[in-house]
Amino acid sequence: MTLRDLILRVRALAAPRRVERELDEELAFHVECEVQKYIDGGLSPEDARTRARARFGSVPLAADQCRDARGTAFFDTLTQDVRYAFTMFRRAPLAALTIVLTVALGLGLVAVVFTCYNALFLRVDAVRNPAELFEVRRPPAPRVTAVWHALTRQDYDALRRDTSVFTDVLAMFPLVEARIAGHPTTGTLVTGNFFQVLGVNAALGRTLTAADDERFAGQPVIVLSHRAWATLFAADPAVLGQRVALNGASYEVIGIMPPQFRGLATSAPDYWAPLGRLGQLRQALAGKDDRVELDVVGRLKPGVSPKVATAALTAWAAGNPQMEAEGDHPKTILLLPRLGTNSAGAVRGLLLFTPMFFAFGLILLIGCANVANLLLARGVSRQREIGIRLSLGASRRRIVGQLLTESLLLGLAAAAGGFAASRLILEAGASVAVATLPPQMAEQIGVAALAADWRVVAFLLGGAVASTVLFGLAPALRATRLELVRTMRGEVTRDARPGRARHALIAVQVTASAMLVVGAAVFLRSAFAAARVEPGLRVTDTVLLELTTEPLRPAMLQAVRADASVAAVAASWPARIGGQWTEASVSAADKPAETSARSPVEFKFVSPEYFDLLDIAVLKGRTFTPAERSPSTGVAVVSDTVARKLWPGREAVGQVMRLDSPQPPQTLYSGSPSTGPHLPLRAFTVVGVVRDARVGAGMFEVVDAGVYLPIGAESAGASLVLRVHGDPDLARQALIDRLSRVDPSMGRVTTLRTIAGRATLILQIVFWVAAVLGGLALALTLSGLFSVLSYLVEQRSKEIGVRMALGATPRDITGLVLSQLVRPVAFGLVAGGGLAGLLATLIVATSPVAGIVKVLDPLAYAASLMVIVTACALAASVPAMRAARIDPIATLRND
Amino acid sequence: MARHPAPDLLPGTLDLLILRTLQNGSLHGWAISERVQQISQDVLQINQGSLYPALHRLEHQGWIEATWAVSELGRRAKYYQLTSSGRRQLVVEADAWERMSAAIGRVMKLA
Repeated sequence: MTLRDLILRVRALAAPRRVERELDEELAFHVECEVQKYIDGGLSPEDARTRARARFGSVPLAADQCRDARGTAFFDTLTQDVRYAFTMFRRAPLAALTIVLTVALGLGLVAVVFTCYNALFLRVDAVRNPAELFEVRRPPAPRVTAVWHALTRQDYDALRRDTSVFTDVLAMFPLVEARIAGHPTTGTLVTGNFFQVLGVNAALGRTLTAADDERFAGQPVIVLSHRAWATLFAADPAVLGQRVALNGASYEVIGIMPPQFRGLATSAPDYWAPLGRLGQLRQALAGKDDRVELDVVGRLKPGVSPKVATAALTAWAAGNPQMEAEGDHPKTILLLPRLGTNSAGAVRGLLLFTPMFFAFGLILLIGCANVANLLLARGVSRQREIGIRLSLGASRRRIVGQLLTESLLLGLAAAAGGFAASRLILEAGASVAVATLPPQMAEQIGVAALAADWRVVAFLLGGAVASTVLFGLAPALRATRLELVRTMRGEVTRDARPGRARHALIAVQVTASAMLVVGAAVFLRSAFAAARVEPGLRVTDTVLLELTTEPLRPAMLQAVRADASVAAVAASWPARIGGQWTEASVSAADKPAETSARSPVEFKFVSPEYFDLLDIAVLKGRTFTPAERSPSTGVAVVSDTVARKLWPGREAVGQVMRLDSPQPPQTLYSGSPSTGPHLPLRAFTVVGVVRDARVGAGMFEVVDAGVYLPIGAESAGASLVLRVHGDPDLARQALIDRLSRVDPSMGRVTTLRTIAGRATLILQIVFWVAAVLGGLALALTLSGLFSVLSYLVEQRSKEIGVRMALGATPRDITGLVLSQLVRPVAFGLVAGGGLAGLLATLIVATSPVAGIVKVLDPLAYAASLMVIVTACALAASVPAMRAARIDPIATLRND
Repeated sequence: MARHPAPDLLPGTLDLLILRTLQNGSLHGWAISERVQQISQDVLQINQGSLYPALHRLEHQGWIEATWAVSELGRRAKYYQLTSSGRRQLVVEADAWERMSAAIGRVMKLA
C-alpha cells in the first residue's frame, strides 16, 4: 500500500459524499462528451444520447467497479458485519456475556504473567535517551573465575577524569537499608550528577546536585521516590523541606520524583541520598568509601558507538595501574545497555517465563474450548439463517467473515474485560502477599501491584485476535458447510458430524485440567515434605539481631537483656547462619605445622550460650565454659563433618589446629558483614564436637560454621542470637519497636523460622497458584462438559424415547450418556498426566526447587486423577439422570 | 468458418495504453478513450465500463494523479496525468510489451 493509496482511502472514508459526487460527475462528463461527438457527427440529440448510453454500458456498474478499485468496499462490509453482529448479540445477550466473561478470565490471567514479564524485561525507565546509557563492567578473565570485578570510587573518579567517550558518568550504590521515621526502607546512594546525567527533574522540589555530594562530606538531603512519598508520607506535599530522621540522623527532604521514574532499577528504591553520606548511613563502611562496589553508568557521546567506546575504555583500563589485575590476563571493559530493566536478557527471560505463560495460558485454552463448543451448538441453531443467506448468493467467505467479525467483537470486549481482570488479580495478589508473607519478607520485597503500560494493552489486543481464531474459526467453517437443498427444505440437520469436534474439545480440556491439578498436587506434597525436614537448629522461637552501632552496644545489650520478650541471649559473628571461610592446618602432635595439609573451613565466633540456645547437640567432649569468652583462650569446638574431614578415623577432641587469617575483602557492598573480632594466629585445641547445624531444604539449605571459637556479647562486631517468649514474629516486631528507640539505625532482625521456611514458602506459593489455576480449569471443564451433555441429551431425546419404548432400562440410558464421555476423558487423563510428568521433569530439573520437588510422585498423580474422574462423573450425572427420566410416551407424542 | 475475434484487449494491456496515452500531457477519461481509438484506427476500443475502474486503480497505485480543471465543453472535468513513478512504470511495461509481441511475432512466423 503506497502513501498515495492510503491518502485516497482515508479521503474516501472521511468524505464519502464528496468522493461519490465526484465519481458521478466524472462519469456524467464522459457520457456528455460522447453525446456531443454524435451530435457533431449529425445525429439528433435524442439519438445521440441513446447511443452514447448504449455504448457506455451500465453507469452504476462502472461506478461500483470504481468503488472497488478505491478499496472502501472492505469497510462497507465491515460496517455491515458489525451492525449485524450487534443485532445477534441483542438477540442472545446471555450467550454473548458468557463468551466475553470466559475469554476475559483467560486473557486476564495471561495478562498477569505478561505484566510481570514486562516489568522485569521490557519496560524502559523514564529517563532522557535511555538508549545512550551503558553500564561499565569488568568481566573476569576467561576460565579463571566467574566473579566480575567491581568498580570502586577510585575507578569511577579515574574514568570520569581520564576518558572522553561519555558526556558524563554517574555512580550508584544500591540497597542501603535505613529506617525513615521507624519504617524500614531501602535507598540508593548516588553521585551528585545522577539526576542530571539521567536528564530527569523532580516532580516536586529539586533533585540532588554536585554540591550536595562532596566526597566524604555529603549534605544530609534526600530525594524520595513517588512510592515512598505515597506510602510513608501519604503523598503530603508539606513533607518537602521538612527534616526526617534517617537512621537517627536528620535529613532534609528536597524533592519527590515522578511516579514513572525508577532510577535505572526494576523498581524504584524508597529514597536517593548523596554517595558522600555512605559512612553515616552504613557504619560498617565508614571510612572505607574507596573500597565499596559501585554501579557505574555513562551516557555515550552522540556519534560514539558502543564498540568504539568499549575499545577506548579497555585501552584506558589496561593503562590504569590502580585497577587490580588477574595475573597476566589483560583487563577488559564491557558496556551493557542499562535501561531500567534487564532488556538484554529479554529472550532468556521469556524462557524463564514460559512455564508461567503455559500454566496460565491453559485456562485461556480451556475457556476457548468452552466457547468453541457453545458456538458449535449455536451454529446448528443458526443453520437456517445461514442456509438462507447462502442460497441468496452470499459467498461462503463472506459469511465466514461475518461470523468471525462477531467472534472478534466478543474477543475485543473480552480483552477489555481481561485488562480489568488482570489489574484486579495483581492488586489482590499484592494484598494477599502482604497479609500472608512473613513480615520481614514483605518489608524487604516491598510488594506492590505492578503497573501496566501500552505493551500490556498491545499484548491483550494480540491475545484477543489469537483467541478469536482459536474459538471462532472452526465453528464458523463448520456452520457454513451445509447441504443447501436440505436446509432450504427445512430439514435442519440437527448436527452435522457432532461427535468428533466435541470429543476433541473435551479431551483437550481434560488434558489441560489434569496437568494443572497434577502440578498442584505435586507441589502440595513437596511443600509438606519440605516442612517436615527436621532443622538441625532450634527455629521455633529464635531470632537473629544485628548490632550495627558500636558506641551504642552497651545500651543495646542492656535493653535486650531487660526486654520482657527475651528468654536467653547469645552472641555470634558473623550475624548469619554460616561462617567465614578460611584455611585450617592440622598439626599432628609429632609433625611441625608447616608440613601438614590445609583444608578450607568456615569458622564462627560464638558465645558459650550459643549451643544451648540453638539446641545444637554435643556429640563428644564439651562446649565452651561460661569463662571462655575470648578466642585467646585457645579452645575450639568443631562440627561433626569438619571433625571427620580433618581427623578421619581419629578422635577429634584434644587435637590441635591453626587457622589462617581470612583474606579481607577487596571491595565492599551494602550487605558486607561488619569487621569481626580479631582472629589470633595461634593453636586452638578442640574441646568438643557438635552436630552439624543445618536449616532449610534443597537449595535453600544453609549449614552453620564448622569451627566455633569463643567470644562474648561485648566484643566489637558481635551480633546477638535470642530465644524469645511466644511467637517469634510478634516478638521481632516488639523488639524493633523498643530497640529502635535506643538505636534508630539498628540492623536487621530475622527470625530463624523465616530462614528455615523459605523452601516451604516457595513451594506453598507455587502450590496455591497451581491449585487456583487447577480449580479454575476444572470448573471451566466441568461446565463445558455439563452443557455439552445436556445439549446432547436434549437433542437425542426422541431417540432415547424410542429406545425406552423398546425396552431400554433407565440404567441402560444412563450408561449410554456416560459412555459418550469415557473416551475423551480417558484420553485427556492419560495425555494430561503424561505431559505433566514430562514438562515437570524438564522444567523443575533446571529450577531453584530442584531436589525438593518429587516430580513423579505416584500418590499425587493418583489423587489428582481420582479428583478429576469424580468431578467429571458428578458433572455428567445430572444430564445422565435427566435422560433416564425421559418419558417415552410424552416424547413420542410430541413429534 | 473463422470468426474475427472482437478486438478484446489482452489482460494488462489497458494499463499500458492509458499510461502511454498520458505520456504527452494530461487528459480526461473520454479523451483517453478517443485518443486510443483514433490512433489505433478504430481497432482498439476501450470498454468504457472498464476504463474508469482502471483509472481509479492506477491513481491508487500512484502512477497517475488527477486534478479537476475546466474542459473544452466549459464543464469541470477530471484530468489525469503521469506521476514520476508512473513514467518509470510505463518504461517497464512498454519494455515487457515489446518483448512479448516480438516473441509472439517470431513464433507466428517460424513455428
